[in-house]
Amino acid sequence: MQTTKEQRINREYTRDFLLAMVAYVVVLVASIWGTQQVDAQWAKWLIAVLPVFPVAFALRAFLRYLSQIDEFQQHLQLQAIGFAAGAAGITTFTLGLLENVDFPHLPLVWVMPLLIAFWGIATCWLHWRSR
Amino acid sequence: MKNRLRVLRAERKWSQADLAEHLGVSRQTVNAIETGKYDPSLPLAFEIARLFSQRIEEIFFPEP
Repeated sequence: MQTTKEQRINREYTRDFLLAMVAYVVVLVASIWGTQQVDAQWAKWLIAVLPVFPVAFALRAFLRYLSQIDEFQQHLQLQAIGFAAGAAGITTFTLGLLENVDFPHLPLVWVMPLLIAFWGIATCWLHWRSR
Repeated sequence: MKNRLRVLRAERKWSQADLAEHLGVSRQTVNAIETGKYDPSLPLAFEIARLFSQRIEEIFFPEP
């Protein structure tokens, strides 16, 4: 059961995050289409990075959420983010070493999803442990 | 750090959610403090003490 304050914080975060994700999908599709419509390389680069903007809005929503949750939840988030940063760092570092000996290349675009996946796993585990 | 939070809450017949609502924190946070998994910050400890009209050292005390 969530308290009134928790409900407000979670509601605002969910709303802002979902809006950012819907915008991301729309901008991503438009961006992929757009890069095929132009010839100039600088225009391709400009259009290709447009999906970063809705992702930045999602990050803004998360940072706002982080600043509003209570101290114990912030304590859990610190552990989750620490785990995610370390696990993603070790994973990409390991893959980087393997690439020196002809292991398949991991595109940089997968680093952020990897970080988010580790953060999600750690958050679920920590919340389950302290439920 | 040990504490008497569970006893004080029971005296008022409050659930963890009731206490969380009074303190403006999550129920999970109240549970973590009661079970000794988490020691609250000084401002939250003062808030708890004020809510139960007691001094901090009457609620929280170091483990022997």
